[in-house]
Amino acid sequence: MKEPLPMHRESVLPCVLAGDAPRAVDSPMDSDAFAGFYERSARPLWAYLARVSGDPALADDLMQESFIRFLCASQPDEGEVASRRYLFRIATNLLRDHWRRPRQASIEEIPEELFAASPSSSSADLLGPALAVMRPRERQLLWLAHAEGYTHREIAQITGLASASIRILLFRARRRIASLLREQSSVPQSQPRWRQP
Amino acid sequence: MMLNPCSRTKEVADLLRRGQWPAVCEPELRSHASACRSCGDLVLVTETLLRARSESAGTVRIGSPSALWWRAQLRRRNAAVERIGRPIFGAQIFALVVNLFIVVAFLAYQARNGLAWLSWLEQLPQAYSLQFESLSQSSLLNPNWNLLVLIPALASLVLLGGMAIYLASEKQ
Repeated sequence: MKEPLPMHRESVLPCVLAGDAPRAVDSPMDSDAFAGFYERSARPLWAYLARVSGDPALADDLMQESFIRFLCASQPDEGEVASRRYLFRIATNLLRDHWRRPRQASIEEIPEELFAASPSSSSADLLGPALAVMRPRERQLLWLAHAEGYTHREIAQITGLASASIRILLFRARRRIASLLREQSSVPQSQPRWRQP
Repeated sequence: MMLNPCSRTKEVADLLRRGQWPAVCEPELRSHASACRSCGDLVLVTETLLRARSESAGTVRIGSPSALWWRAQLRRRNAAVERIGRPIFGAQIFALVVNLFIVVAFLAYQARNGLAWLSWLEQLPQAYSLQFESLSQSSLLNPNWNLLVLIPALASLVLLGGMAIYLASEKQ
């Protein structure tokens, strides 16, 4: 456990301006500690972003941006669990900002299926049939609660929602996805089992 | 809608969270979960999402942490430079305000004292026209001296103003 980090900006500036990065004062961790944290957190974070957004490329971008913002933030080091929760919070905010942003019609954003002869990796394939039908907010709550194992209070900290709301929303989402999963297991494999989001 | 219809949901959730379902689980609890909708939902959803998590985490190739580290340091450095530049910009604004105040005060003072110097200025073109009368007569042009003075002066002013704006905005 490292000592709590000082928060004086005056002492940070000369170090940062001189390019002395390896132990930036108000950074949550040093480069070695960050490398370890990254190795342990990057895959779960990518899985969260990819499964909630249904877009692997977006998950790549947001994961990188989340880690950079995490390092730039003046968050005191409170241990790996808290750091990971903070990282998920940043990623959740980035996802929300992405959804709020007006859609741009550039060639990079046109889905691959329009160019490819056979659609091989659609978002529904990535999400899975049941998750693809759920709303992004429901996917987020379900993932945080059941894949990451966060409590309602922790999910509230990550998403910015009230704990009481999370309990209700999660209950409904769980019931809905469970019905979809049961339907899906009862439907023959050849038939289409879900609608595109 | 009942949110907690089953009292054993927490027990099942704890086992799932610890990764002990269904290995370390009493047969009675397992049979309860298969019969209870709430517990059954919980088991089904958690197992599905945990499987999806391990699938996704297994397929992704993560980049180098050092590249992210240095990108973050660069961003922090730029932010620090911007923080340092902010007081300088404030000082520039303050200097501009002070200068404007001085100009306004000077004009107000002059207006109150009857703009005596303006009468001298009004006589200036006439003086020039007298002084350069011979030149203007010999010239092919028929110069209007007021305009001859005014246009270059305005042009210089515009040029200098443009340069000043360019130099001020060059940093940005």
